[in-house]
Amino acid sequence: MSETIKADLELNLQGLMCPLPVVKISQAIKNVPVGGVIEATATDPGVMADIPAWAKSTGNEMLKVEKEGKVIRFWVKRLK
Amino acid sequence: MEEQKTVVEQAKEELEKRFSRTLAVAASNLCVHCGLCVDQCHYFVATRDPNISPVAKAEQVRRVVKGEHDWLRRIFPWWTGAKELTEEDLDKWVEAAFRNCSMCQRCVVNCPLGVDTPLVLATARGVLTAVGKAPEILVQLADAAIAREENLEFFKDFYLEQIKELEAELQKKVGDPEARIPVGVEGARFLYVPLSGAHTIMPAAEIFYHAGESWTLSMFEAANYGIFLNDPVRSKRITERIIREAERLKVQEIIITECGHAYAVSRWEAPKWFKDQPWNFRVRSILEVMDEYIQTGRIQVDKSRNPFSVTYHDSCNLGRNSGLFDEPRRILAACVEDFREMTPNRERNYCCGGGGGLVAIPEWQDIRLEAGKPKADQIRATGAEAVVASCDNCRHQLGEINEHYGLNVRVMGMAELVANAIVPNNGKK
Ligand code: SF4
Ligand code: SF4
Repeated sequence: MSETIKADLELNLQGLMCPLPVVKISQAIKNVPVGGVIEATATDPGVMADIPAWAKSTGNEMLKVEKEGKVIRFWVKRLK
Repeated sequence: MEEQKTVVEQAKEELEKRFSRTLAVAASNLCVHCGLCVDQCHYFVATRDPNISPVAKAEQVRRVVKGEHDWLRRIFPWWTGAKELTEEDLDKWVEAAFRNCSMCQRCVVNCPLGVDTPLVLATARGVLTAVGKAPEILVQLADAAIAREENLEFFKDFYLEQIKELEAELQKKVGDPEARIPVGVEGARFLYVPLSGAHTIMPAAEIFYHAGESWTLSMFEAANYGIFLNDPVRSKRITERIIREAERLKVQEIIITECGHAYAVSRWEAPKWFKDQPWNFRVRSILEVMDEYIQTGRIQVDKSRNPFSVTYHDSCNLGRNSGLFDEPRRILAACVEDFREMTPNRERNYCCGGGGGLVAIPEWQDIRLEAGKPKADQIRATGAEAVVASCDNCRHQLGEINEHYGLNVRVMGMAELVANAIVPNNGKK
């Protein structure tokens, strides 16, 4: 059983295609405090490359990724 | 210690660096203020606001360029309209160059003197990027593309797993367990560069399968947000990832997915940027490849498989900027029963309003949708049930204007339409 991460904000990005998942995460991260976490679900496989790259280049952290059938669930922590 | 330069000083320096003969011509008194470009711009057509006409937008930048470069300004500043740059001007440039211009080039085609307004505004974009005033999300998307290369190991396995899943879908769709979506295959004929999304991989994979094509994906996507910033450093870095992969895999061609700006960058800019490197491959759009397959009989298509009326939106980057007008129309003639041109079309087509990076900027959704009205009217007038666009940015925007203006059409990509029309031959040539 995976460790539970407490999320400050949940985001449904299912059905959105690039670049919209990144755009939405970039907007939403401003709504959590530094140290806060967004838990998001998406269906476009592109997020798996785009979100970690976005997190890295903006100085945030992608904590975890899980796959449930076609749904990708991931957690991003705001670091600054 | 060296004193910190002000934003205005930095902006002037950047403007100076970017000053070229072409800009000098575009920014000089060549514009006779005839106003013919005014109602060619979809922003003006939609809003009737003279402040966002091409000439008014360009004039904001031109006045400053003249202030620096027109010798007449020293004697007659009032006559040349020259102006000293302020930070307030820079903030207005953000609106003029990023918010109120999609870089569609329609005003250039319609200017009797060929004044290159988007070149003037793109220069402003570059200056604003250099001084940290560009829209944050465009910078983030460009940087993420660069970080993608630097963090390959982080997502490689997951990406390959995703491709395997898509491959299983392809096998089911074409009824062949041997159908493949290859990644990183050395010696393939084509390096196909999709976007970050299955919708740009699946229809192409199906078409390549039926054509018996030798192709491969790499780990990189085509989008290049650096070009919307007019930032040569970022845009080159992003394109370089693909060029290096093409060289490493020894492919004969780079095939760019249905993405207008990515095609324009790879086809027209990259050869200039990397002119010292051996170009052992050519760059084509998947539009050109699909057209070739159909014309040479390499794939068989049946137009009765697309039994609905279709109109075509010429993407500014593929059409006006790259001349791909006949290819999509030949494909449509072969793949749909009822094709209806929108008016105007080809080089006089209206921009959908989503170009220049605007689809990625949620803060400006209102003006983007408002500026999309001429396009909505064009689509509605055709009475077509579907609108095809061969550019992902356009497809996003058309999807939104479809909803906003209640057009009730289906928004499709060309590859999707071709894949629908294919008569299966189980991958045999
Ligand atoms: S840019 Fe061309 S069309 Fe527009 S006002 Fe100037 S000269 Fe006339
Ligand atoms: S390039 Fe397009 S959006 Fe920009 S001013 Fe010209 S017509 Fe308007």
